[in-house]
Amino acid sequence: MSEAGSTQHAERRLSLLVTVLAFALPVVFVLVPLAIFLGYSFFSVDQGTIVYGLSLGNYVRFLTDPVFLPVFWNTIVLCVSVAIICILLAYPAAYFLTTLKGRWRYALLMLLLVPLLMSYVIKIYAIRSILGLNGFLNKALVALGILQEPSTLFVFNMNAILLTLTLLLIPFAILPIFLSLERIPQVLLRASDDLGASGLQTFLRITLPLSLPGVASAASFVFVLAIGDFLTPQMVGGISGFTFGRILYSQFGTAYNWPFGAALSVALAVVVIAAILVGERFGRNRGTSV
Amino acid sequence: MSALPRLSTIFLAAITTLVAVLLYSPLFVPIVSSFFTISHGSVDWSAPTLSTYVALAENHDILVALRTTLIVGVCTVILSVVSGTLLALYYHGRRSGRSVLQFIIFLPFLMPPIISGLALLIFFREIGLERSLLTVVIGHTVFVLAIVYRTVLMRLQSMSRTLVEASYDLGATGWQTFWRIILPNLSSAMVGGAILAFALSFDETMITILVTGTQSTLPVRLWAMMRLGFSPDINALVALILMFTVLLCVLAARFLIPRQVATERT
Repeated sequence: MSEAGSTQHAERRLSLLVTVLAFALPVVFVLVPLAIFLGYSFFSVDQGTIVYGLSLGNYVRFLTDPVFLPVFWNTIVLCVSVAIICILLAYPAAYFLTTLKGRWRYALLMLLLVPLLMSYVIKIYAIRSILGLNGFLNKALVALGILQEPSTLFVFNMNAILLTLTLLLIPFAILPIFLSLERIPQVLLRASDDLGASGLQTFLRITLPLSLPGVASAASFVFVLAIGDFLTPQMVGGISGFTFGRILYSQFGTAYNWPFGAALSVALAVVVIAAILVGERFGRNRGTSV
Repeated sequence: MSALPRLSTIFLAAITTLVAVLLYSPLFVPIVSSFFTISHGSVDWSAPTLSTYVALAENHDILVALRTTLIVGVCTVILSVVSGTLLALYYHGRRSGRSVLQFIIFLPFLMPPIISGLALLIFFREIGLERSLLTVVIGHTVFVLAIVYRTVLMRLQSMSRTLVEASYDLGATGWQTFWRIILPNLSSAMVGGAILAFALSFDETMITILVTGTQSTLPVRLWAMMRLGFSPDINALVALILMFTVLLCVLAARFLIPRQVATERT
């Protein structure tokens, strides 16, 4: 009897511990750091030491200094472009996958998703060596007679960042588009065909509208991942390819202004949250159930 | 079949091929060149060799970084699987506060790594924790926790309640039910989650760069070396890592896919 009582006692103590942990872990290691981070954005730096006095100075500087807003805007445009190119490539590929039967469909999907798990730094390095002045791309273009001499068009600039991010992020666009295309009921397509619509009409009136939620999720994924990346621009961007992520990162390195960096992060977070919300809002599948 | 669908199929297949080439060319370049030596700035295609692999075995820095990465990965897996499973067990079947806490767990995974990394960097500084492998492990665990949590939670949700009820009916205590019924049913989800966590930790670069001290993991080490240009033995390492990653993917698929098949059937 007393033995059962003590195990019950131990169990109760354990469940109390689990309860405390279940609340403490996320709060201590996620919420508290983010809260401190947000707090930092209102501090300032004076001669290398952080001044713990609240002010809006960092935000004023971000909004009024002629450097930051244009870079911020250019980075957003860059990442929107990356998202658009990724979708233009991923949509036909995802559509092709859904026309395949059974095992082939998933085998090919896996094939297109596996590069996601491959080392990120190594991919950037390999892409850089392909794009470089003596790289594979230039050599191929010269060999084919398209170019007279190696072009600097893709070397250490915004184009290089655009291409590299696109190559890295295409799989993130393929998956959501594939899932939304796969969810479209075949009966709808057959009905459209029976009613005399051409293949193109069926695609434009049925398939495309019903797959738009997947496109929205894909765009939001790719955009968020692209805008948060500070290593790719650093690696392939050279001096002219200056993105917001790089400026932000430099505040914690060479520039050593953590509070200002925190304020820039808040600006980044606002854009990211907006992109996630837009993706969520339009990414919901509606009307595909029959 | 009319001509138009056939043309469009060819077009779609061509784009798909292009995408596959774009995705795989950055992976094949280092693998192929790992088997050849580079002399006078161009690749010597005539004689395939394993000399890059021999050189790799003598590259001390890289091997140390590899060991560091494995240590960090194993610690991250242990911490994230234990806490992710605990959280999933706790939140499963509980309504109050679950969505908020779940959202908090997912935040580091949704937010750009630069934000999670910087938040942790400032946090460690404020609590006076010196940057070291410990901070890297914490950073990785916070990042991958959402994946493990979700994998285990999905398995819990697909598990039939009758199993647990039957166990209690047969007189088992809560403890016995946990060890004999719940945990064995979760084990393959936990293994799958562990493999995913390890793969993510193995490749994590951005958070690691921000929270690491003097010891660097392999991606960070490679990142630092890249600025100077790679020595050929790095290509050998790349080939080995890619093989290892493919193996991990196959393993993860083995442990995670039976669950999907099972849920599809029900």
